[in-house]
Amino acid sequence: MKFWSVSTRRLLMLLATSALLLGIPAAATAFAGSATSGTGWIRLAHLSPNTPAVDVYMYSFDDSKAMIVLHHVAYGTVSPYESVRAGDYSVAMRAAGASATSQPVLSTSVTIAAGHAYTVAGMGPESGLRLQVMDDALTTPTGQALVRVIQASLKQQEVKVTLGSTVLSNSLKFASVSAYQAVTPGAVSVTVSAVSAGAGDANSSVTLAAGTVHTLVVLDGASGLEVVSLEDASGSGKPPLGGVQTGFGGTAAHGPGSPVPWLVVIGAGSLLALTGGLRLRRNRQLTVRI
Amino acid sequence: MPTRRPAAALALAAGLVVIAGGTTGLLLTRHSTPAMHPVAAGVAALPAPTGPIVAPPQSAAPKPVAAPVSLTIPLIGVRTNLMTLGLASDGELQVPLLSMASVAGWYTGSPRPGSIGSAIIVGHIDTTRGPAVFYRLNTLTSGDKIYVKRADGTVVEFRVTSVQTYLKDHFPTEDVYGPVPDPELRLITCGGAWDPATHHFLSNIVVYATEVG
Repeated sequence: MKFWSVSTRRLLMLLATSALLLGIPAAATAFAGSATSGTGWIRLAHLSPNTPAVDVYMYSFDDSKAMIVLHHVAYGTVSPYESVRAGDYSVAMRAAGASATSQPVLSTSVTIAAGHAYTVAGMGPESGLRLQVMDDALTTPTGQALVRVIQASLKQQEVKVTLGSTVLSNSLKFASVSAYQAVTPGAVSVTVSAVSAGAGDANSSVTLAAGTVHTLVVLDGASGLEVVSLEDASGSGKPPLGGVQTGFGGTAAHGPGSPVPWLVVIGAGSLLALTGGLRLRRNRQLTVRI
Repeated sequence: MPTRRPAAALALAAGLVVIAGGTTGLLLTRHSTPAMHPVAAGVAALPAPTGPIVAPPQSAAPKPVAAPVSLTIPLIGVRTNLMTLGLASDGELQVPLLSMASVAGWYTGSPRPGSIGSAIIVGHIDTTRGPAVFYRLNTLTSGDKIYVKRADGTVVEFRVTSVQTYLKDHFPTEDVYGPVPDPELRLITCGGAWDPATHHFLSNIVVYATEVG
């Protein structure tokens, strides 16, 4: 930016302003897509226990018209993933029902790379509310599942999370996210317990298939802890090796067949004819002598 | 020895006949067979199947979806039941037998169409004699519609986002089979050049589609 001359900057501002005034709907709508078509994924979440419901807006960079608006998103809500073109976006939160043009409570920018997925979540206590951008995993070690934990319980500042006999975290602090852990596929029980005594454990069960990515969200429930299991992404647990042999060649171009068999036939015929011819000649000579 | 003459003459005549036959055969097989090409899409467009279109779940815990039973791609005249396919002993994806080349199959190791993830459906491009179920797959373009009917009678609609051709030697396993966070579909068939040495096509065509929500 610092290399731009003042006039260039002024020109760019003018262009941007006129684009907005003319209402050019640059990327105005979310559209379906995947990694191969230059798109990534984003989902939005409200994970701040004592923050009232919010409206969440997502804007494409330099576009004042929101491309995604989620109304009245309450604590504990995680949206499905939306597929969006790779690029720069901003996410803003306003109090539920506030005017779309009002000053947001908070906002953040997020760069979406093609083939990557992100979770943008309102985290922390209301007094220290922040929007956190998480980079979500989309690849698993072959034959395994990935699991991580978001700790969004304010009442229990530190929790221990176990998955079957595997300890995912001994002491996960409020408003933090654990690293992904690769686990053996199967149906397992999830147990979340407060590190300091005072609250009952939260139990759940989750089926983790190979090739899937999961997020466990620890929440403040009506009474005590709650745990929500999200299946973030899924693929083939056992990816087939290589390509797929799906054709028998009936519509393919074929070159001429090998000439060898026909040449052998011609050779055999020649041999036969030659033998016959020679015999015939010798017989004639014998006949003449007699 | 005059009795030998007919035998020798017969051998000579037979030899000449064989030479003539062999030469004819050789000449008749000197031409190449050109490749067949699918005609542009739009022929005999099938109506979209009836049944409720199921929107993707909005809740945190999506309901499990039923197994897929049939596939319809109106634009290219595909309407087929779906068989189930697993992995062969060598780790490659199983494909329908030649006698079942008019039927496509769902890989049971992939997610069910309409649930989160990349569901895999494969079909043959041709038989030994002519076109098979996915002959026109590579004529699909972005935006074209694909319908999958499931065992509970519900129909899930997908829209094509991209059509790619990959050399089998450089098949992008992660892009095709790897996890994705929304309901997607990949249709796979063969394409590219035919290798007479291995009796396989050298490339795969992959159609990427996502659920219309």
